[in-house]
Amino acid sequence: MRAASAMHLFLGLTVWAVWFVAAYGGLSVACMAAAPPRDAGVLNGISIGLAVLTAATVVWLLMTGQALRRVLAQLPADAPPRDRFIGSVSSCLYFVAAAATLFVGLPVLVLSPCL
Amino acid sequence: MAAHAEPSDRASLEAVWANPRGWRSLSSVNHSSLGLRFMITGFAFFLIAGVLAMVLRAQLARPEADFIGPAAYNQAFTMHGTMMMFLFAVPMLEGLAVYLMPKMLGARDLAFPRLSAFGYWCYLFGGLIITASLLFDVAPDTGWFMYTPLSNDVYSPGMNADFWLLGITFAEIAAVAAGVELAVSILRLRAHGMSLDRLPLFGWTILVTALMIVIGFPPLILGSILLELERAAGLPFFDIARGGDPLLWQHLFWLFGHPEVYIIFLPAAGVVSTVLPVFARRPLVGYRWVVVAVVTTGFISFGLWVHHMFTVGIPHLALAFFSAASMLVAVPTGIQLFAWLATLWLGRPVPRLPMLWLFGFVVIFVAGGLTGVMLALVPFNWQVHDTHFVVAHMHYVLVGGMLFPLFAGLYYWMPHFSGRMPSDRMGRWGFWLTFIGFNGTFLIMHWTGLLGMPRRVHTYTAGMGWDAPNLLSSIFGFVMAAGIAVVLIDFLLHARWGRRAPANPWQADTLEWAMPTPPPPFNFAALPEVDSRHPLWRGVSAAGATIAMGDAAADRAARRLPHARHGRRETLGVDPVSGIAREIIVLPGNSWLPLLAALGLAGVCLGLLFKVYLIAVVAVLVSLGLLLRWSWENGLAIDVIRTAPAGASDVTPAGLPLHPRTYDGPGRWGMGFTLLADASLYLSLIFGWLYLWTSAPQWIKPAQSPLPVAALLAVGVLVAFAALHHGRIVVSLRRERGVPADSRPLLRRALAVLVAGLLATGGLVAILATASLEPARNAHDAVMFVMLVYPLLHTGLGCLLTALQVLRVRQGLVGAHAPYEVAVLTLWWRFAAGTFWITAAALVLIPMAFGGLR
Repeated sequence: MRAASAMHLFLGLTVWAVWFVAAYGGLSVACMAAAPPRDAGVLNGISIGLAVLTAATVVWLLMTGQALRRVLAQLPADAPPRDRFIGSVSSCLYFVAAAATLFVGLPVLVLSPCL
Repeated sequence: MAAHAEPSDRASLEAVWANPRGWRSLSSVNHSSLGLRFMITGFAFFLIAGVLAMVLRAQLARPEADFIGPAAYNQAFTMHGTMMMFLFAVPMLEGLAVYLMPKMLGARDLAFPRLSAFGYWCYLFGGLIITASLLFDVAPDTGWFMYTPLSNDVYSPGMNADFWLLGITFAEIAAVAAGVELAVSILRLRAHGMSLDRLPLFGWTILVTALMIVIGFPPLILGSILLELERAAGLPFFDIARGGDPLLWQHLFWLFGHPEVYIIFLPAAGVVSTVLPVFARRPLVGYRWVVVAVVTTGFISFGLWVHHMFTVGIPHLALAFFSAASMLVAVPTGIQLFAWLATLWLGRPVPRLPMLWLFGFVVIFVAGGLTGVMLALVPFNWQVHDTHFVVAHMHYVLVGGMLFPLFAGLYYWMPHFSGRMPSDRMGRWGFWLTFIGFNGTFLIMHWTGLLGMPRRVHTYTAGMGWDAPNLLSSIFGFVMAAGIAVVLIDFLLHARWGRRAPANPWQADTLEWAMPTPPPPFNFAALPEVDSRHPLWRGVSAAGATIAMGDAAADRAARRLPHARHGRRETLGVDPVSGIAREIIVLPGNSWLPLLAALGLAGVCLGLLFKVYLIAVVAVLVSLGLLLRWSWENGLAIDVIRTAPAGASDVTPAGLPLHPRTYDGPGRWGMGFTLLADASLYLSLIFGWLYLWTSAPQWIKPAQSPLPVAALLAVGVLVAFAALHHGRIVVSLRRERGVPADSRPLLRRALAVLVAGLLATGGLVAILATASLEPARNAHDAVMFVMLVYPLLHTGLGCLLTALQVLRVRQGLVGAHAPYEVAVLTLWWRFAAGTFWITAAALVLIPMAFGGLR
């Protein structure tokens, strides 16, 4: 992993966007295909699937952000300031993406999916 | 410190960069001229839209008034919103960015000056076409969001809606062109040494905004094309009875519409982050945090669109996703706000005129942001949906978040535009009248909305409790109009009678002030080099055009491109991350082609509008011819290649190659971002296909697919071959390392690509001709038809461009000595192949997946 790669500046939130589309689109399709009974609550295949997807996305984003921080800590002292800048902004954006995924995904644990 | 340019050097720059005068100035492509034209035109539309607002307020001032009737009222509110959003807010901010960005980045112009000019003319003609509808009483009258079925040919049979769909789509070409142009320029045309961590924050906000435009506008362009196809040709994408769904329009519109709010706000936030530190007399606190916030806003704002559709009947969990994202987007905005407050707290603020407008911005925008969080909550949203509360919120966000920072910025940069200072006294009168008038109008309007008054009704009966608040809103509305008038008069008068501006009048830190004002067309007599985020706060005179770097070695002096004796317009191309110079970009000069091509497209627009399709077809051919002529000539690049010495991977005295000799020039980046816009449009189409399959209430599907799968696969193989083979041309050219070898292998490969492309195009035509599609009878076949026309256009255009490339290889304009264009076209073929295979999969697999379910 290279701290100064500009790819990291947008990868984290792109993963958030893909998760968002997958969660919203997946929910719509799953509800059309196999809506659980109205009183099923959150213990149903759709909710559990969305929760697992959300958790996996959050974990991946946190781990990637943390890995970038480790790489950043090992940058030589004479590394160009821009490398440190891109690395720190990018790792922060991974954590932001993780927080956004978690916050937007939390209702999965409370609301029945297809009502 | 390097020496200033010699007089003869300067004379050569003045000769090469000169703007034509008189009527010939219409051929000018200089970014300063075009930026000012964008802004002046934007203000003209703003005034018309403002007068419409006053007409609305006059009508609503008293109950049961008959100042204007319901039909005129519908036209007035539709045109007010449409003009403010599409013809004022976005073009105005793009104009400001077009004017400022190269100057702030230390460049001489934008990456594609002729594209800027083309964009401007498309904007002007599109805007004039829409505005003309007001004169003939056929203006769009179904709301600025054009909800169907109200806007379809059954309920809006006149030309009103067509004016909107065609005119706005035409004007949006300008927005997307400027988006591509600005993104490429910010990434590739900067001062040597301006790494990403030294990019001015205005640059970051415009970069993110430009990418948002590139991704956000195409869904609406697609929606407009589909709705116009429904109106003109009967293809029923949004007609429930024939298998369509009007909610698809709402999705496509708001996929654009919500990011649009941030497309307007982010540049304004960039203005605040530029202006506020100058008057706080210290660098902005939390540069990194602000960058994080701006990038976050750019992404999250795409996850909010359904909050405009909370009442249409969507599963609660999906509503919760969008509600949460809507709340979340307030966080990065809050981060920026705290960075601005901390900067004021830690600095030594001076109360100059632009600061007054920033004060107004903070007060109004914070209030608008908070009502935004209220509206993100679904139950509250249901209560106030379609009431004047939403109108008030929207104006707090848009006027607070865009107009006030814009005026702060215009007052701040006015000395740059004209070389003269605005009037402090008139400026203050203008501000207070606008501020008091605005709050008097819209603060009260929240109350009117909470009392239940709906939007878009031309009058109301007395005694509902709405009389007094409406009268107050109308009175204050006219106070605000007086404030705007004072500001505009100040802008006009200062250019003649204003005090002459000293150099860098506000003691600013950014490079646009390192030049005389008003600026020469080439901006910098010698290009600056930077080693800090605040180049003008490093103890160098702002009057000069060079920034201290400590040595004056010959190559460094040459890298500043201090003359144009070679007759070319040049600026530096840099590595997008490090900002280290890597090539010299040759820019095209003034030309009539952009204006003529835009006139051609205006002909297309008018031909379609009046349903004289012969004119439309002729105009398409004329426009295409002009655009291809433009691409053939491509400014002076053609001369660079023709004058190349043999064995020409030559470098200039600056030690850098000219960009036609490279593989990764601005054109490749421009193509990349254009294809990003294309991909956004394409994915919106795929979304539409998937959406109708899963959600259309009366979806009609055939018993079996009307498409020949084997033929589709054969076309896919041919397009893939074209893409792969074209990619091999680039590889083989790289092997020749700039030394022109025998051009015959290159020619053979290009011809092979052309043949494969032609076969694929013919195959697609045959599929369309033989498949038993009935696009006017049901939405299934209509979407399928569009999904097949899309790759047909891409392979067809690919063939045309490849044929031109074959001709250019034969004429020695493309080869190892000039490989630039090959890498550009390879991207096109790869995109065509990728989207074709996704199309084939979507056409074959989605019916298989969902066919059994519905």
